[in-house]
Amino acid sequence: MPIAEGVLLLSLAGVLTRLVRGPSHGDRLLAYNSAANRVFVLLAVIGTFSDRPAFLSVSVVYAALSFLGVVILARFTERGGGHR
Amino acid sequence: MISWALIALGLLLVLIGTLGVLRLPDVYSRLQASGVSDNAGLGLVLVGLIARNGFDKADLILGLLLVLLLLTNPIVTHSIAKSTFTLEHREKGEEQ
Repeated sequence: MPIAEGVLLLSLAGVLTRLVRGPSHGDRLLAYNSAANRVFVLLAVIGTFSDRPAFLSVSVVYAALSFLGVVILARFTERGGGHR
Repeated sequence: MISWALIALGLLLVLIGTLGVLRLPDVYSRLQASGVSDNAGLGLVLVGLIARNGFDKADLILGLLLVLLLLTNPIVTHSIAKSTFTLEHREKGEEQ
């Protein structure tokens, strides 16, 4: 059933548009967080519908690492970031 | 059949959230649209995937993924909002 994957890819494209042309740091961070969420749910959907359990493990690791990356980038931006 | 209904409702919420991220005018309103609709929509998609067949081992990993999503997404939203607020008011404080 490729409709769910198609809808998730469409919303991923919309969020990546905001990632490219976001005016501030917060826009880019939130777009990156939303894109990472859509990517790991897309991995879970593909792994469930085509019976590949390895995709689910990859999805768990991707979710944990993207959470860590977004929190670290937000703290880095909060303390002055690269322009100081 | 109920799993298809849950997945379709979740995908509808995800599309509404994407529209909000693209169209709303401010950082904080985009953050609200992104946080609320990601939690609800992607969580509903994962619940629909869990309720698709009988119980097997993949449902445990999907449950772990759902817990991870519902646990980390509010933390990330709060962290981005605090970062944006602090940066904005520090810039205003330096101008005075």
